[in-house]
Amino acid sequence: MRHIRTVLRAAEPAGPAIRLLTLMDPDGWPLPKFRPGAHVDLHLPEDRVRAYSLCGDPAQQDRWLVAVKREATGRGGSAFLHDGLAVGDAVAASLPRCTFPLAPDAMRHVFVAGGIGVTPFLSMAAALDRGGGDYVLHLLHRDAVPLPALLPRATVLHDTAAAGRPALAALLGGPAPGLHAYCCGPPGLIAAFEAATAHWPGGQAHVEHFVPPPLLPDPEARPFTLVLARSGRSLDLPAGAPLLPAIRALGAEVEASCEGGICGACRVRWLEGPPIHRDRVLRPEERATDLMACVAGCAGPRLVLDL
Amino acid sequence: MSVSPTWLGTVAHLHITARAFLPMRGMPAIELVAGQGIRGDRYMIGTEEGFYSAKPEAGRQITLFEEEALECIRRDHGITLLPEEHRRNVTTRGVPLTHLVGRQFRLGDCLLEATRLSIPCRHIEEILEKPVFDPMINRSGLNCCILEGGTVRLGDAIRPA
Ligand code: FES
Repeated sequence: MRHIRTVLRAAEPAGPAIRLLTLMDPDGWPLPKFRPGAHVDLHLPEDRVRAYSLCGDPAQQDRWLVAVKREATGRGGSAFLHDGLAVGDAVAASLPRCTFPLAPDAMRHVFVAGGIGVTPFLSMAAALDRGGGDYVLHLLHRDAVPLPALLPRATVLHDTAAAGRPALAALLGGPAPGLHAYCCGPPGLIAAFEAATAHWPGGQAHVEHFVPPPLLPDPEARPFTLVLARSGRSLDLPAGAPLLPAIRALGAEVEASCEGGICGACRVRWLEGPPIHRDRVLRPEERATDLMACVAGCAGPRLVLDL
Repeated sequence: MSVSPTWLGTVAHLHITARAFLPMRGMPAIELVAGQGIRGDRYMIGTEEGFYSAKPEAGRQITLFEEEALECIRRDHGITLLPEEHRRNVTTRGVPLTHLVGRQFRLGDCLLEATRLSIPCRHIEEILEKPVFDPMINRSGLNCCILEGGTVRLGDAIRPA
């Protein structure tokens, strides 16, 4: 069981082409905690995985709110979440991950959101409202206002269809000690934000892209080709991609348990490498022939496994 | 002649959860069912909601963790791991869990047999967003099967059988 089981308990329209989903445990048990700004992956039919920010209050532990904008040109994930998912249906989700956290030492936060890019700021605003933090949310929108019922008190709306994009430098007002700025939205807005904050001190301007980076990447990792010798199948892995899911994607079965390189469940013979081991179960002489698939990488261009 | 050490411990905390990854819930008492598990917990036979439910083993019926290990992890690694975070069912005080593998002992009025030491699982780091995997190696608790069931309450004694 790799995923969190949730059930769609409510769904409502929440702005232009936006459907707001309320996900809960089947028995109403509290869901895993999440930090302000976190997102989850939703696992959809046909192996589609889509990341969505959690836009509810992190203190409300029995539900996750996810706002889905219908993407006319998307790959079908948002269309399924709009048309294919009914209240009462099951939705598998990942653990929440936070790649866009609030700066813990900030004295004031300025959020710049473009359209549906407002979602990560909603959980941040809820947490700041609760803790008495100082912030302002600038929401740039072209159509109707997204998620009007969830917007915090400290929201400033900018209708870009009527007035064009406001000058970000003026909205941000910085740089200043303790002032942190954040942007989430379409690529054009992020580029403008990065230009407007280029002269800011490092670490005070933050952006969220919609594609999250992989969890805990190994800085030394390099891309390589995974080859399964018995089936002859192969797959090119980007730097830092985990090996175990790749082996499984190629149709081979490997046991796993701890997924941290200590239990010995996922041992596999390797034929060409050399592997980067990173486990704590194999003795040096065992490493000459075997690797632990849950943690291993590859130092060469090809990793050939006896599978 | 060997001297068998004597010990007498207590139940410091009790936790269950309905499903893998979900937060553990503190309980004033839990109900153990011989050969099956804890009522309401993810590893109860017939529930199969645990991370490892696809690989059943008797020792998943109930798991224990030393409160002293939480103190060691804080002391040695500066990481605060709370009783509801180690994901074992029973937090013990004054029990040498690592010496009990293969032995029977009483948890309140229930009778347990320790099957093996627990090993940590990487997924705990994802759940907690704390780097606790390394500190938990070799002090990750004890897996047991339930020979005699019953109700276990906070403060109950734990003693050799
Ligand atoms: S799953 Fe335990 S060593 Fe790989």
